[in-house]
Amino acid sequence: MKALAVLAVLLAAAVPWTQGRIDARLGTHRAQEEALYLWSGDQVRRLAPGFEDLMADVYWLRTVQYFGGQRVYAVNKRFDLLLPLVNITVTLDPRMQIAYRYGATFLAEAFPIGAGQPEAAVKLLERGVRSLPRDWRLRQDLGLFHYYFLNDPQRASQILLEAAEIPGAPPFLATLAAQVLMRGGDRETSRQVWRRIFEQGEGPMRNNAAVHLAQLDALDALDNLNGAILAYERRTGARPAVLDEIVRAGYRGPLVDPAGVPFAYDRSEGRATLARSSPLWRPNLK
Amino acid sequence: MRRVAAVARNTFRESVRERVLYNLLFFAVIMTLSGLLLGELSIRQDAKIIKDLGLAAIDLFGTLIALFVGVGLVSKEIERRSLHPLLAKPLSRDEFLLGKFAGLGFTLLVNVGLMTGGLYATLLALRRGADPALLKAVFAIYLALLVTVALTLLLSILTSAAVASVSTLCLVIAGRYSDVILNLGDVVPGMPAWALRAVMILIPNFRNFDLKDRVVYGDPVSFGDLGWITAYAVAYTGTVITLAVIALRRRELT
Repeated sequence: MKALAVLAVLLAAAVPWTQGRIDARLGTHRAQEEALYLWSGDQVRRLAPGFEDLMADVYWLRTVQYFGGQRVYAVNKRFDLLLPLVNITVTLDPRMQIAYRYGATFLAEAFPIGAGQPEAAVKLLERGVRSLPRDWRLRQDLGLFHYYFLNDPQRASQILLEAAEIPGAPPFLATLAAQVLMRGGDRETSRQVWRRIFEQGEGPMRNNAAVHLAQLDALDALDNLNGAILAYERRTGARPAVLDEIVRAGYRGPLVDPAGVPFAYDRSEGRATLARSSPLWRPNLK
Repeated sequence: MRRVAAVARNTFRESVRERVLYNLLFFAVIMTLSGLLLGELSIRQDAKIIKDLGLAAIDLFGTLIALFVGVGLVSKEIERRSLHPLLAKPLSRDEFLLGKFAGLGFTLLVNVGLMTGGLYATLLALRRGADPALLKAVFAIYLALLVTVALTLLLSILTSAAVASVSTLCLVIAGRYSDVILNLGDVVPGMPAWALRAVMILIPNFRNFDLKDRVVYGDPVSFGDLGWITAYAVAYTGTVITLAVIALRRRELT
């Protein structure tokens, strides 16, 4: 009996040791191909009668892990499974508000920060609005996404007005609807839109809004800087070789973006831009 | 009545001796891990997920206990012939069966009660509030478990333990697909409506007892609703237990 107990302890100790050897030979984090075996929420629903909400939670956790994993760790980022994962989640639990809101944010952001699928994000929010018609936050997001990602201020304003009429909606929605309609795609309206999302959001949604607000501040700073470069060129007849020259000439604005990364300067074009190394840089940012 | 209580007491003791309540350890681990991990992993959906997980675990563990312990309750006594000396005492077959039902019912009550306590403890530890409405869902789950116990008892008297396990499991699953059964008319157009209705009545509608989604989202569940669900459980369980009593009376013990 004693001998058996000793054997059991020895064998148990061998388990982590052999695992260590395998890790040493094959690497600790072996690549694991992401796969989604069930593509339809209805299939999953049929497989777990009575446990749909729990399955929705499981799929939501998987969505968050998949998105975070691709965004932060993956070398060749791919978001192919993001939309089916979110769709399965909301099919299993059509009342999971957070899946619509965060799922849409994950989908809409430009690649490689997000999946770069704003149309899919808007469709997801539309589905959310159909499932939760009395939820002003979802309708607000739908309006803001129409404005920001689809560049459709008219439709955005209309949806924001609908959101404002839902009981419990804050009064600023009606004002925002008017601003969106009147001033179209100007930067100040964008700033207000993202400030609202920042104030209401949590976690990744709030962080994402903070990045957008910082980008808008960076664009303002770049406008001032490029104005100063142009003025310098007009005054001296030559473009500055480096940005420090305009500082010596009296420019007092920042030469770094809000993330602390120095602006890039292209002398041949005479323009400063966000550096590609900056966390605020995005393709087609304007 | 005293004899029924004595059988019930023994059944409960036997369940404890057979370590049926060990599932509580799994439950405790699940609740602790979910409490520690879910806040970060789910983007502040931890309270909802803990409620979903806790209620699903109460449902699932309870069903498994009702099924696998319930099947052995009578059939084991018959197969081992330990029922003979019992019936030689002043104990009728009816009392034996009712005692077995009450005993497992009490075991499940203790089990469900402790798991519910664990669920509330997890929520309170995370400062997510102890929503009393969860008790309505737990109560409905408990009723469903009693229906399952009654079915296992009946089927284990009519057939062998193995067949009873499989057939009760099939009935429990079919009862959770009651919406599919209701829609069978669309898939099989020739099927007469009365046949569908008969199937719906015969198979226990476990969807009736699923209030998990409603209580987690704070939908109102009135005491009237609970009353009707209870009435359904009493009617169905009563029917099945009566059939089980008849079956046991008619069963030849060799």
